[in-house]
Amino acid sequence: MRFARAGIWVAAGLLAVGVTAPRVAQAGPTMNLFIWSDYISESIIDGFELECGCSVVETDYESNSEMAAKLSAGGDSQYDVVVPSSYYVPELAAEGLLQPIDHSAITNFGNLFPKFQNPTYDPGDKYSIPYQWGTTGIEYNPKDIPNPGGGWGVLFDPTINPKYPFVIAKGEGRDQIAAACAYLGYGFNCSQESQWLAAAKLIEQTKKRPNFAGFVDETPAEDQEKSGLIAVTMAYNGDIAECYADGSCASLKYYLPKEGSEIWVDTMAIPAHAPHPDLANEFINFILAAHNGADLSTFNEYASPNQASQQYLSGLNGTVLITPTPDQMKNLQFLAPLQGAQYKLFNDIWTSVLQ
Amino acid sequence: MSGAAKIIIPEKRAAKTAVQTEARAKSFRLWITAGPGLFWVVLFLLIPSVILLAIGFFTSNDYGSPTMPLTLQPFQQVAGYSLLGWDPGNIIILLRSLEQAGIATVVTALLAYPIVFFIMTRPASVRPLLLLFIILPSWTNQVVRTYAWLELLGPNAPLTWVAHALGIVPPDLGIEPGQFAVTTGLAYNYLPYMIVPLYASAERLDWTLVEAGRDLYAKGFTLFWHTVFPQTVPGLLSGVIFVAIPAFGDYVVPQLLGGDRSLMIGSLIANQFTETPDWPYGAALTIIMLVFTGAGLVAFRVLTRKLGGAGEATI
Amino acid sequence: MTNVVPPRVRAGLAVISWPVYVLLYTPLALVAYYSFAPAPLQTGHSFHGYAVLFSDSTVFVALQRSLILAVGSATVSTALGTLLGYGLCRFRNANARGIAANLPSLIIYTPIIMPSLVFGISELIFFNFVHSATGLLAAGLGTMVIAHITFQVPYVALTVFARLAGLDPNLFEASHDLYADGIKSFMFLTIPIVQPAIIGGFLLGITLSIDDFTISFFTSGPGSVTLPIYIYGAIAKKGISPEINALGTLMIAVVIVLALAHFFITRQRERRASLLPS
Repeated sequence: MRFARAGIWVAAGLLAVGVTAPRVAQAGPTMNLFIWSDYISESIIDGFELECGCSVVETDYESNSEMAAKLSAGGDSQYDVVVPSSYYVPELAAEGLLQPIDHSAITNFGNLFPKFQNPTYDPGDKYSIPYQWGTTGIEYNPKDIPNPGGGWGVLFDPTINPKYPFVIAKGEGRDQIAAACAYLGYGFNCSQESQWLAAAKLIEQTKKRPNFAGFVDETPAEDQEKSGLIAVTMAYNGDIAECYADGSCASLKYYLPKEGSEIWVDTMAIPAHAPHPDLANEFINFILAAHNGADLSTFNEYASPNQASQQYLSGLNGTVLITPTPDQMKNLQFLAPLQGAQYKLFNDIWTSVLQ
Repeated sequence: MSGAAKIIIPEKRAAKTAVQTEARAKSFRLWITAGPGLFWVVLFLLIPSVILLAIGFFTSNDYGSPTMPLTLQPFQQVAGYSLLGWDPGNIIILLRSLEQAGIATVVTALLAYPIVFFIMTRPASVRPLLLLFIILPSWTNQVVRTYAWLELLGPNAPLTWVAHALGIVPPDLGIEPGQFAVTTGLAYNYLPYMIVPLYASAERLDWTLVEAGRDLYAKGFTLFWHTVFPQTVPGLLSGVIFVAIPAFGDYVVPQLLGGDRSLMIGSLIANQFTETPDWPYGAALTIIMLVFTGAGLVAFRVLTRKLGGAGEATI
Repeated sequence: MTNVVPPRVRAGLAVISWPVYVLLYTPLALVAYYSFAPAPLQTGHSFHGYAVLFSDSTVFVALQRSLILAVGSATVSTALGTLLGYGLCRFRNANARGIAANLPSLIIYTPIIMPSLVFGISELIFFNFVHSATGLLAAGLGTMVIAHITFQVPYVALTVFARLAGLDPNLFEASHDLYADGIKSFMFLTIPIVQPAIIGGFLLGITLSIDDFTISFFTSGPGSVTLPIYIYGAIAKKGISPEINALGTLMIAVVIVLALAHFFITRQRERRASLLPS
């Protein structure tokens, strides 16, 4: 009787453990995938497991810096494939955390669009292969702000949005400083210290406005906008495409600011001491196959860098939201990678903005 | 004569060695029982902490990792010197975090007293249940329940309509993000930590003192202040420690409910290991934070001893 | 005692306290309410959130990991912590002063007062250091278990110590007089007496482990996602979806049911023990 109480707790615990069906351990080697959460579908993973006769262990992260932190703390010998954003690739490579891709194993390389085969951030695609790409723009609620002005002013100009709550992303600060630079006329990819300082000042002034509702990253901010907590935010085109697709944000709108905005590419890379580099290369090649590229973009609602996949894509993927027009493309830039002392300086400036 | 002395001394020596053996046996048992636990904590926490703190004395390379030479530069950074000159930012962050700890402590204490004595006025069989209901919410996931507050205080929520009607919040904005929302979030998360020790103290209250005070014509608040309150001081002090120390480093609540408009020392430290990597700077900040926390703890122990409340079973 | 407090004061206390109780549960009620949100493009309440939750295998794997981690670490920490609390209570020289005598206190309180962030980062650095030097302790479930044991041991030790410290020390003398040696004393005298504290410490360890996010986050490795880490990731990615609200509601419900069951069973046991009319 004394132990009845304890017995109940233990039994409850064991019941819970028993009810949760353990994953059937699959035979064969393991491929450790370290990727943004919700960025690859179960069916693609199952397809790869079938083809390679291995099992895939997926671990997720929410930001590039989280991924980089884990890699530098020993993760570079635990994961086989990581998915860094393009501007992180030169930094990770310089730190010795990546190994070159084995191009002899990437037979599908030719499937990529020519502009992705030799990008500025990673000449010759030595360390990375493009995975998905997209744009960053403004998502707003036309009921609150019928006339946002087509530029970054909707965030930085108090006369355009004097009273509705809005947010600016937190993160590492790259997009935000670039947006402020573009609004001030320095161009989206400003690179001089004085320009960064001016942009930082603008954001600090914006912080003080009464309707500034805080620093919230793009994806959770989009969710806040859906719930009506805010009226305008920076956002990724794929996030809004996904919610158009399931109907939960029919009234919200998206545009690319006229002063210039970001085109970003997420890439696949192999950590320096990956336990199974052969499986890693095989996985990368698998993603580059035309059908798989199409499946991926259909799942994510983001654009595919894979030219051979275009014929299989339809629906939202063909619209201007996902695939900007050539005119719009002229206004979009990759974020320039920062190295060394520049990187440190930028981090210091951004930290002081957040204070 | 010497024969008798020879007889006495061996007994004394035997008695002395018996005590020594007893002490040694006790010491051995102490090591065997307490040893493994202490060793584990030393190996897996104290040594790692020392390593972390040591990193504060290295230089930061371009990517934030520690490298030679040894330097005090991270501490200069803590004091506010950076590539951009001196900036009072860090002092402000520190003061802000202390203020947050203070607000959380005061608000939870003000709420805890009425609630604890409310529970005490209920029948004894119901009291544990009432206490349990206070503690239960803290067993749910912190992020989920803080997000619930985000919704409750948003621009379109009923509570916010009241605030709009009263004119304290401009229309189209919500109570969150804002100081009131942050205070609510802090109070919500830390109330159980103040109530439990305070209740433990109140349970042991000697009500005859209150009777005596009444006999001496003390009334109302004076009565409470002089007879009840001093007896609750040990519990209050424990509660202060349990609330102030975590609230000092908390950054989840100010981030979610305050819109992350004000950086706290907790998020500043977290950033140095994630978003804007700079491990030596982060380690130096941690040392400063631990200094403040340690000072608070020392003050707590001194106060507790002085106010005579110890006597409780504490290690 | 209740007659000491005048009725007006009692009413005043009630007026303050009942709204606080309501406010304590309002956010939880909101989570439950939103868990029944309709499926997209539909109206009316539904179990859509729950359907998505139960069809998502990653949640169950995360739950399983959380439970394994919690039960595993709590078992070891209860053993270590009980011995620690017992040893410090029984065998320490209570009159000793100075650094050496206060060292155990210092060691025990450190994990409690150390902010989880600092704790987690220290572990991250330490395990990385050990791993790069020896190849052992790769980040993953193993390192998480070690970290969890480390922060649970002090709580168990304090719980057991508090219980033992209130005991009459003559009890141990008595058992010694009855020819029980150290181990027998421990097994047949100490353990039964501190059994509630041991169980309490074990449950406290489980609670701390299941709820922990920061320390688990920094010590996790490939495929070692626990429930709080999963929730954090899901919220960061998708915001508060009906699925997360459903998960939150279930967790709240389980906690409430278990706590109430524990409470009523304890009361039942105590009633029987003291032969009160029920």
